[in-house]
Amino acid sequence: MSDEAKKKEILEKLRNGVIQYDEDACKEGAQEALDAGIDPNEAIFDGLVSGMEEVGRLFEAQEYFVPEILMCADALYAGLALLKPHCKAMDIGLKGAVVIGTVEGDVHDIGKNLVKMMFDVAGFTVYDLGRDVPLDQFVEEQLRTDSDLVCLSAMMTTSMVGMPKVIEKIKAKNPDVMIMIGGAPTSKELAEKFGADGYAEDASNALKEAIKMVSFLKKLRDEKAAKSK
Amino acid sequence: MNSRERVLKLFKGEPVDRVPCFSGMGNITEEGINKLGYKFAAIHSDAKMMADTAATTYKLFGFESGVVPVDLCVEAEAMGCVINVYPHAEGILYPTIKEKLIHKEDEMDIKLPADIGNRGRVPLLREAIKLLKADIGNEVAIGSYVLGPFTLAGQIMELNDLLKLSFKKADKVAKLLDTMADAIIAVAKEFEKAGADFITVREMGATSDVLSPRVFKNLILPPLQKIIKEIKVHSVLHICGKTNDIVTFMMEACPTAISVEQKNDVAETRKKLGKDALIFGNYDPYNVLVSGDENLVRATVRQCIDNGVSAVWPGCDIWPTVPPQNMRAMMDEIKNYGGKK
Repeated sequence: MSDEAKKKEILEKLRNGVIQYDEDACKEGAQEALDAGIDPNEAIFDGLVSGMEEVGRLFEAQEYFVPEILMCADALYAGLALLKPHCKAMDIGLKGAVVIGTVEGDVHDIGKNLVKMMFDVAGFTVYDLGRDVPLDQFVEEQLRTDSDLVCLSAMMTTSMVGMPKVIEKIKAKNPDVMIMIGGAPTSKELAEKFGADGYAEDASNALKEAIKMVSFLKKLRDEKAAKSK
Repeated sequence: MNSRERVLKLFKGEPVDRVPCFSGMGNITEEGINKLGYKFAAIHSDAKMMADTAATTYKLFGFESGVVPVDLCVEAEAMGCVINVYPHAEGILYPTIKEKLIHKEDEMDIKLPADIGNRGRVPLLREAIKLLKADIGNEVAIGSYVLGPFTLAGQIMELNDLLKLSFKKADKVAKLLDTMADAIIAVAKEFEKAGADFITVREMGATSDVLSPRVFKNLILPPLQKIIKEIKVHSVLHICGKTNDIVTFMMEACPTAISVEQKNDVAETRKKLGKDALIFGNYDPYNVLVSGDENLVRATVRQCIDNGVSAVWPGCDIWPTVPPQNMRAMMDEIKNYGGKK
């Protein structure tokens, strides 16, 4: 088998491992990728992330639901854990640090965790505050880490209303920080009204938004690679 | 016909003079809490304060029901979970569960405490229902609510694990949900005894945003049927989010009425379920009632009615910061328009 054919097969294995929520296949594929000397970033983006893109599509088509997505995420992490230590940081001109958490009064963190996964994939440094996070902690953590992005999640309408307060406080201290809000009760209009820069209304949308962002980073990387050739 | 008669007749399938506007879920307002001088965090653990607050939405605005509790933690607490009422919060934060009962898969085989109807705040709720009934029970229907089995299971164990296991080990989850059903029935019985006219079963977590209709039918519907069969007063089955693909299953649980939110296309649901089905909904309680202007508040009342709801009913808890003029506009519009169809 030629190197190209072998590489294609391994990437396909990683991709299908994610789609079919097969953790073992993702582990095997990741090990094979390393053994074959495939660039780990390529294995992540053209294998694992490509699979997750398909999962996003299946969710949209209502073939997959949240349980399947969570299992796919486990499979992705299984591969990522092996590949990541071998990744060189992507030099894409972004500092790439993000503070993420579910706001106080809300103990739901599935959407938040999916978004976090895509940041992990993209090589961001993720400061995960967890769930039921007091509002001031977001502000403090952003200042402490000088992160470029803050992601606030809420699943319940009853906890979402704390968001504008955090956004206002962060923007007052550091107007350049990008703020993304997410969760079932949020909307584009609310994001605008709250002063946020982006939004994702549910786990699937969060996943989609995060995939979009990561796909964009990938494009930057590819362009950069093309230029340096 | 007063509000109580109107709502109870509606439940019985008898003719009413107009569409009512009420809820079986939380509907207290900051306006009401402030008038009483109470603190939000305090009303969950004091029967009188809870009942007083619950009565204000009728007293101030003419909203056509009185409902306790205010939070969603009663069952989990009765099963042994500790709740956080956020006593020091500046604004309004609803109580949450501090610590799960089940931490891993092999702890799922739980036994319920024998006297669940007397544990946690269940006795306090009994008292609150009695007080509320004595206060406004001649004028409006008194409602109470319990969680659905899947939503309750999601409170006592990691939702992440529950979701994955509902796919990988459906039999284990089915067994847990059956136990949840027993807990919920025990609590609902106490609410009935205390005098609730109707009970809403809030199965918020089992929306089609999260679970496939197939999993809903196989896993969630059986324990829902078990619960609703045991509720002897009128029952309402509420599910949040997308529900168009599961409304027929919701009907198969045999509640007196189903409740859906704004993501449900009610005109389609009405077409699917026929003219006699009681469909409550699908008024957007935040984007319209809290954030909208008076025109939108009124237009949405008309739209819900035109789409075929049997009662204009907020799709979730009314968020307490609702502007009083919006509450008034909603209740005024229901009087103007509710009898036109």
